[in-house]
Amino acid sequence: MASTSTFLSNAVVTINSVDLTGECSSANLTRTFDALESTNMSNTARTFVGGLENSSLVVDLYNSYAASQTYATLKSLVGTAVTVKIKPTSAATSATNPEHTLTGAFMGTLPLVVSSLGALDVCGGITFQGGVYSVATA
Amino acid sequence: MKYTILNEAVGEVGTEFVPDDGINVEALIEGGFIKSTSKATKSDKTITDTNEE
Repeated sequence: MASTSTFLSNAVVTINSVDLTGECSSANLTRTFDALESTNMSNTARTFVGGLENSSLVVDLYNSYAASQTYATLKSLVGTAVTVKIKPTSAATSATNPEHTLTGAFMGTLPLVVSSLGALDVCGGITFQGGVYSVATA
Repeated sequence: MKYTILNEAVGEVGTEFVPDDGINVEALIEGGFIKSTSKATKSDKTITDTNEE
C-alpha cells in the first residue's frame, strides 16, 4: 500500500484569475517536453534530448451562461494566451500543496453547446497549451 | 490603471484587483468580474501669454 496518496476533492482551478473550482469536474496538468532525437552511430538504442516545453492543462467545466460563470469567463479568452493555475486543495499554498501555473497558455477551442437530453451541459476537454510553467510552494 | 473587483470568483469584492503577468484584463472587464476605476487624467493647462510688449 502506498504510504502517501492524493485524491482530488477540493482542488482550486483558476483561469485568468477567475476561480472556476465550482464549475470544474476534471483537470489534468501535464508537463511535456519535445523529444529531440540525438541518436548517432555509436548508439545501440535511440537517444533523445529535451527540447522546448509544451505543457498543457485540460479541464472539464460544467457550462453555465449565468453571470460571472463559465461562459462569461471563457468567451473572450478563446484564441488568446492566458494564465491558468491549479493546486490540489484549497488550503494555503505550501510544499505539500503546491500551486502550479502556466503563464501564456493558448486556449484554442471553446465548446459552446455540448448537450445531452437530461444531462448537465459539460464543456469537456478545454485545453490550455504551452506557456511557461512555474510552481509556488509558499 | 486601477481596477476594482466586482465578483468573488476573482477576489474580495470591492478591493483593488492587481493583475498578474499574462492576465487578460479586458476579458475580465467584459465578463463583469472587474471594473476600471481610474479617472481620466486632466491634461496640463496651457498658459497663454497675452501680454503684448
